[in-house]
Amino acid sequence: MKTGKQKALNILMNFLLLIYAVFALFPLVWMVLISFKSDTEVFTTTFAFHPTLSNYQEVLLRSDYGRYILDSVIVSGGAVLVSIIVGVPAAYALARYSFPRKEELAFQILSYKFAPEILVVLPLFMIYQKIGLYDSYLGLIWVYQLISLPLLIWVVRGYFEDISVEIEYAAQVDGYSWYQIFFKMLVPLIKPGLVSSALLAFIFAWNSFTFPLILSSNKVYPVTVAIMKYLGTDSAHYGQLAVASTVSALPAVIFALCIQKHLVRGLSFGAVKG
Amino acid sequence: MARIKIENVRKTFGKVRALDGVTIDVKDKEFFVLFGPAGAGKTTILNCIAGISMPEEGMISFDDNIMNLTDPAHRNVAMVFENYALYPQMTVYDNMASALRSKLYKTDEAEIKKRIEWAAGVMKMDNLLERLPGQLSNGQKQRVAMGRALVREPNVFLMDEPLAHLDAKLRNSMRTELKEMQENLGSTCIYVTHDFMEAMALGDRIAIINKGKIVQIGTGDEIYYMPCNEFTAQLMGEPEINIFTARPLVGSNKYILDFDVNGERISVDLPYDEGVYSKLHDLRLENVDCGIRPQNVKYSFEPKEGYFKTTVYSYESIGNKSVIVAECGGFQLRMIAPNGLNVAIDSEIYIRLEIDHAMFFDAETKDYIIRYDEAGFTAFAASQEEK
Amino acid sequence: MAGLTLEHLYKRYDNSGKKKKIKNDFAVKDLNLVCEHGEFIALLGPSGCGKTTTLRMIAGLEEITDGKIYIGERLVNDLHPKDRNIGLAFEDYAMYPPLNVYGNVAFNLRAKGVDKETIDKKVRELAPLMQIDDILDKMPVKLSGGQKQRVNIARAIIREPELLLMDEPLSHLDGKARQAMRVEIKRLINKIKCTTVYVTHDQLEAMSLADKIAIINFGVLQQFGTPTEVYDDPANEFVASFIGEPPMNIMTTTIINKDGTFFFTFDGSNLQIAVPKRYYSVVSDGFRCRMGVRPMDVMIGGADSKGTPEEIATFENLGDERRIGIRVGDVLMMLITEDEKRYKRGDIIKLEVRGEKTHLFDIETGDRIREKA
Repeated sequence: MKTGKQKALNILMNFLLLIYAVFALFPLVWMVLISFKSDTEVFTTTFAFHPTLSNYQEVLLRSDYGRYILDSVIVSGGAVLVSIIVGVPAAYALARYSFPRKEELAFQILSYKFAPEILVVLPLFMIYQKIGLYDSYLGLIWVYQLISLPLLIWVVRGYFEDISVEIEYAAQVDGYSWYQIFFKMLVPLIKPGLVSSALLAFIFAWNSFTFPLILSSNKVYPVTVAIMKYLGTDSAHYGQLAVASTVSALPAVIFALCIQKHLVRGLSFGAVKG
Repeated sequence: MARIKIENVRKTFGKVRALDGVTIDVKDKEFFVLFGPAGAGKTTILNCIAGISMPEEGMISFDDNIMNLTDPAHRNVAMVFENYALYPQMTVYDNMASALRSKLYKTDEAEIKKRIEWAAGVMKMDNLLERLPGQLSNGQKQRVAMGRALVREPNVFLMDEPLAHLDAKLRNSMRTELKEMQENLGSTCIYVTHDFMEAMALGDRIAIINKGKIVQIGTGDEIYYMPCNEFTAQLMGEPEINIFTARPLVGSNKYILDFDVNGERISVDLPYDEGVYSKLHDLRLENVDCGIRPQNVKYSFEPKEGYFKTTVYSYESIGNKSVIVAECGGFQLRMIAPNGLNVAIDSEIYIRLEIDHAMFFDAETKDYIIRYDEAGFTAFAASQEEK
Repeated sequence: MAGLTLEHLYKRYDNSGKKKKIKNDFAVKDLNLVCEHGEFIALLGPSGCGKTTTLRMIAGLEEITDGKIYIGERLVNDLHPKDRNIGLAFEDYAMYPPLNVYGNVAFNLRAKGVDKETIDKKVRELAPLMQIDDILDKMPVKLSGGQKQRVNIARAIIREPELLLMDEPLSHLDGKARQAMRVEIKRLINKIKCTTVYVTHDQLEAMSLADKIAIINFGVLQQFGTPTEVYDDPANEFVASFIGEPPMNIMTTTIINKDGTFFFTFDGSNLQIAVPKRYYSVVSDGFRCRMGVRPMDVMIGGADSKGTPEEIATFENLGDERRIGIRVGDVLMMLITEDEKRYKRGDIIKLEVRGEKTHLFDIETGDRIREKA
């Protein structure tokens, strides 16, 4: 039995949400629109224009854009992979074992995320140049651990803590070795947290700008930095820039949409306890 | 099937001494209960037997094979955990099959199926096999946990408070069912509980544990009728045994038990019993603690010869019967009464103690001294053990 | 004078927003109760039966769909909770953490603007009664479960309410603390003589505390009576099986006529029990119903007993008493004895049943079948 008052309230709430949706989506929509405009029409603010695919042809077919995307995939994917290999055991250790200064260590890992990138990037630049990591995949993958590792460790640790230790005991008594238990029992249980934190870490790494801008140049060229190329010194090809941005934003958007439910549940589940 | 021996086991967690020299010898095929309050160290003993915990000192052996250095997987024990520890991502069937599919205890699938069906039948859970643990009630989880142990043929079953998380009614009916299927176990079983009814009903023998030490080991009847100290006496029985301090006085060729009720002096003649009289004579104690079970306290709402007057503190039902608690100033007396009496709080009540059922403890050390007809009860308990 | 009256009380849940409509959407259905002034009433039922909803409606925390609630002679349907003159003690303690015990107990009176001396006088009067006089200066975090619960109740009764409402106040306590607190509550209510409604799912708590018990299932009142009435004279099978520990043995039976004598017989069992004469007016040969008898009313017959010989399925020695289980079809029929004799599985005993203590229930509805007067 709904009263008129409740109905009115409902309409008002939907209306407010609609306003917010327009507000939030506007830049994205605008960017997509620009990508279909020719350079001359870029600055018109009306929605009426002559759509063209020339920007797409220019960026996707006639520039090195494919290579930039590949670099981004290698660097971000590599970073997440390393984080999983290093982070899952670390998270297990932090969840299960007690050792001196455990909490301090856990906090230190988290604190990697506190420092603004710009603060550490200059000294890193000098060091990287000296030891030859400058402008290499390994160098970026390494520095990206600052972004992906803390996130992964903290989320997965929460998951491990939620698994009662008796389950491991039960499996031991059932005749399984530690490695069998880890892969057969534990990994399936932390999967939601692992997947969602890995994807989020991937997106963060993908979006990273400061690190690749300063720590790489010609050999490794992730898209975030490459987009800058379309801002020439004399002329700015906003249409092409928009294409580059749109395409580079796609993975993040697709991931986010696909795993939306999973992501929120996966992250908040661990976060409650973490 | 194995004889399980634990000798002088010690274990500390940080500064807490969890086990302080525990020695237990569990016979082959025996149903052995570890009984004590929370935090007594019962679970730690099980974990040491399973190999999950490492004792710092002492020896653990199965059939005279020392197991201290064997890892849990190779000890061939089946364990039921207090929180069930079911694998949440597996169906009930896969949970139960888990041990039989491990490399160590590899069994072919046809045999696994046969055993699971048998265990599911015994535990009355045939209809649950396809479900995930998350879809089960606590009672069902408990059955599954039990069933998962049952499909194996282990050296020993270790059961850690398997009924603790069930509500009172379900716990009682599950206990009865467990009793019914006890013969199906066919192996040694060590069962941890803090519920005295489970301990009494299920255990061939019971070990009372407190603060990491074994207090007493014996059959249910031995411990119930001849508890080794007041702590044990209070654990065994619901409502709890009445214990109050009294003075044994020497009268003309008899002993008189003298105590205060609400400031009034009450004297009760102690009927002659060779054991009681000679102990009282030998020890010449100024005070003894007299223990008397609630069913041996009689009441009347009218003044009666041999009854002393006091007031009702409370009257409440404990299921199929009720308990009257009488205020005696300094101590209270619990007694059994039928349900549905009309008893007003603070009204007068008259009480008589069936003192020829009493047991006596040292008022200082709280240790057991003697009880009425000790020889009779010893013989009775022994005759039960032979059965 | 009535302390609390519920007339045709209904609570319907709003299902309009949900995709799946629940058929039985009444949390409480046509509930009628009259609680005399100073009486202690327990609302008892399994979780989700509507007992807490009822309590919340009485308190004014939940809107009522239909019906009337009177506190004393006042109709309180449209009154705000604070104007109903009730005291509440709920399951979770919800104390104000920055205030000490004294502050918590006095909080309500302070909010009402009662002057300081009066408040102080009242708190100091109540404290010894509730056994919190030694903890008045403590902060809530430092209290044990039992102490918190005492403060909680003190807070509810300091305003001298017309009606005290308690919702599972003991469910956070365990074992012995719970039992001790139960006794204390009983003694306290006995002293202040305040009309009390107490919600619980624990039949022991209800049996021990209440003057009268209202047993509720699926939002419907099953029986309202004194503990003795609901124990000895249950209205239906639900009440019979809910009250009592161990529960009543209830089995499906077929009645047969042997030379003019009726017997209860059971599928898959040779057990036969003579039907008490008083039921002869309602039974016939081949009549099927449910038969219930409490474990205390099943006995072991002596050597010359005419009872049916039965094999023992379980024997449990519990020290104070012994419980014996007999398989009757797929039901384990329990009996309790204080006899010292020990049995073991497989022993044969002769079963005797106190015929006058048997109850009959309808197979379909579960309602009591009573003998015709």
